[in-house]
Amino acid sequence: MNITLRAFIKKELAQTLRDVRMRVLLFGAPVIQLTIFGLALSTEIKNIKLAFFYAPDDVMARRLEGDFYSSGWFKPVDFTAGEDPLELIVSGRADAAIIAPDEGLARSSERGEGRVQLLVDASNATKARTVETYVKTIISAGWAGKGGGAANPPPVKLDVRVLYNPAMESSLFLVPGVMGMVVCLITIILTAMSLAREREMGTFETIVSAPLSDAEILLGKTIPFVLLGLAVTALTLLAAYFFFGVPVRGPLWQLALGSLVFIITTVSVGTLISTIAKNQQQAMLGGFIFLFPAILMSGIMYPVENMPTTVIAAAYLNPLMCFMRILRSVLLKGGEAYVFWTNMGALALMAMAAGGLAYNRFKQTLD
Amino acid sequence: MNGFDLNRAYSVARKEVMHILRDPFTLVLALGLPVMLVTFFGYAIDFEVRDIKLAVSDLDQGPAARRLKEIFTSSGYFIPVEAGSGTVGMLDSGKADAALFIEPGFSRTVMGGGPVTAQFIMDGSDNSKAAAVSGYLAGIQRSAAFKLGGAATPEGLAVETRFLYNAELNSQWFTIPGLAAIIIGLLAILLTALTVAREWENGSMELLLSTPVRPIEIIAGKLAPYALLVLGGVFFVYLSSRFVFGVPFAGSRPLFLAFCLLYVVSALSQGLFISVATRQQQVAMQFAMIIGLLPSLLLSGFIFPVESMPPFFNYFTMILPPRWFMEAVRGIFLKGAGLRELALPFLALLALSAALLALALKKFKTDMEP
Repeated sequence: MNITLRAFIKKELAQTLRDVRMRVLLFGAPVIQLTIFGLALSTEIKNIKLAFFYAPDDVMARRLEGDFYSSGWFKPVDFTAGEDPLELIVSGRADAAIIAPDEGLARSSERGEGRVQLLVDASNATKARTVETYVKTIISAGWAGKGGGAANPPPVKLDVRVLYNPAMESSLFLVPGVMGMVVCLITIILTAMSLAREREMGTFETIVSAPLSDAEILLGKTIPFVLLGLAVTALTLLAAYFFFGVPVRGPLWQLALGSLVFIITTVSVGTLISTIAKNQQQAMLGGFIFLFPAILMSGIMYPVENMPTTVIAAAYLNPLMCFMRILRSVLLKGGEAYVFWTNMGALALMAMAAGGLAYNRFKQTLD
Repeated sequence: MNGFDLNRAYSVARKEVMHILRDPFTLVLALGLPVMLVTFFGYAIDFEVRDIKLAVSDLDQGPAARRLKEIFTSSGYFIPVEAGSGTVGMLDSGKADAALFIEPGFSRTVMGGGPVTAQFIMDGSDNSKAAAVSGYLAGIQRSAAFKLGGAATPEGLAVETRFLYNAELNSQWFTIPGLAAIIIGLLAILLTALTVAREWENGSMELLLSTPVRPIEIIAGKLAPYALLVLGGVFFVYLSSRFVFGVPFAGSRPLFLAFCLLYVVSALSQGLFISVATRQQQVAMQFAMIIGLLPSLLLSGFIFPVESMPPFFNYFTMILPPRWFMEAVRGIFLKGAGLRELALPFLALLALSAALLALALKKFKTDMEP
């Protein structure tokens, strides 16, 4: 590597890492975030406040009620028997209410009219859907087991096995996602702001007047951020591996190559943003415009495939989604070649497009 | 010079307004971005998991096996994909999300009335999908027991469900108010995060400090224009959610406005505090993004319910304004909740915005003494 470029990179790294707060932000924040999100978030819906209304002498219903609270999904609500179930939900004291018939479950089902009413607060539609599924599952299991219906095992049974994450631990699923998000965020902001800053402070002119070629300036301004991005990736990966026991089932070279190409893409996008922005505020808003959709359409929090087809097409232009798929595939599934190379190809195309565009715009701003 | 002089605060505000107007990019973005993002993601986001790719390995080929496959596909959640020789390999490569294995003799056993098992394997590398699939399986198993095994009724006890506030479980009604909360909060943080840091970097802060303007007047003057700007953005978001998406608005508008104001002030103060504390735009922006973006997306209850978090984090999220605002917005829009139901979020937001504002002010004051 030529000596001017090396000096340039050194200056750039020193400038970024000089500030203690920046060092903390770069290397401390990702690990803290990984820890918080890994521990806090769960895709399972729990602690649903349930009120079960039934006549005092209804033994069946009391047994069912026990099933609900011992399932771990529901927790009891304090209420008096005379209260209006609707009022309980409207006031937010309960998320759901089950109302058994007055004559008792056993008698009403003997007459062939066995039914309970379920009221659900559907202001959260996802949660409401889950609550209904839970209730139906618990009721049919409890009913079959407690002698309400036939005590025989169900005639057709599905034997369910979950691959790659048998205990369905949320951290295994979310930690790779948070890793991708944090790396994406840091590299884009760092690059976009650094160039915009030089322009705002007027130091950009100094660099331009120095005996450096266009390519050298561009590389000198971007390589340090690629290196920092890689360091952050390695750090978060170590944290994920040691704190959360996220496995690394695929080959490491896939991880390294995927991260490198992904970071080159994000740094190019950052450069592109900074060539368009006139000052740091615009660079920040530009970064936001890219980051927000990229994160929401990455499949980190909910599957991309649910989106309307036109939007899915746009999601394939999202480098974070490709990186996400590579990360999950390598870490959890063992890095199947098909997944790796298709996403890698897409990432490489995006890296070239964004890099080429950034170089062009950059040259224009230099002249 | 004592107390708070409205005139001086007004002058600072006027200067800030000129700043905003001089940069139309920021102005357009502040007003237009929230409504653009809410509209786009309102269409795009759907938390209901559908079209799960199911590979079936049917070694039985009998009528009961065919019925079982039909039960899966007619549920509306699964779409069959061509199963090659290596069915598990299709899960590895992501060509299928789940696989169903039907052993030889399945139909014969079903005819004989005996208990029979089919194996179902799913990809657990994406929990959001796997959790939904396990939910659907319970219903499928019940319906299989009924249709194939001839169980007397699908269940001895029928459940009649009434979904309150959103009878058809329209997921847009649920995502859009949440999205609005997140985008508005973020934008507010981002807008103010640079204001003070920029003045420090450009050296114009020294100038401002040498004038008789007091810190509280500077803070008020800097907050007011941005608060108005963001509330303008809120207005457009409201119009779009009501008229583009038809989200019902059951609550009171003055209460909604009060909540928006509190929330916007808390977010703006957060940005201002970051700006005052860092004094450098690059660091300020990193902070703003890290403090603003991820926690508000992940810890506010937008996607992952706060109640499902471990107790510690359930309390931890109480210091995040988006959590309270999320609760309030959803309550006001769909449930028509009044101040009585939302007393806790209201007080919490009030306390948080007061605390954040005081924090920014205090930091600013101590900063001014050299």
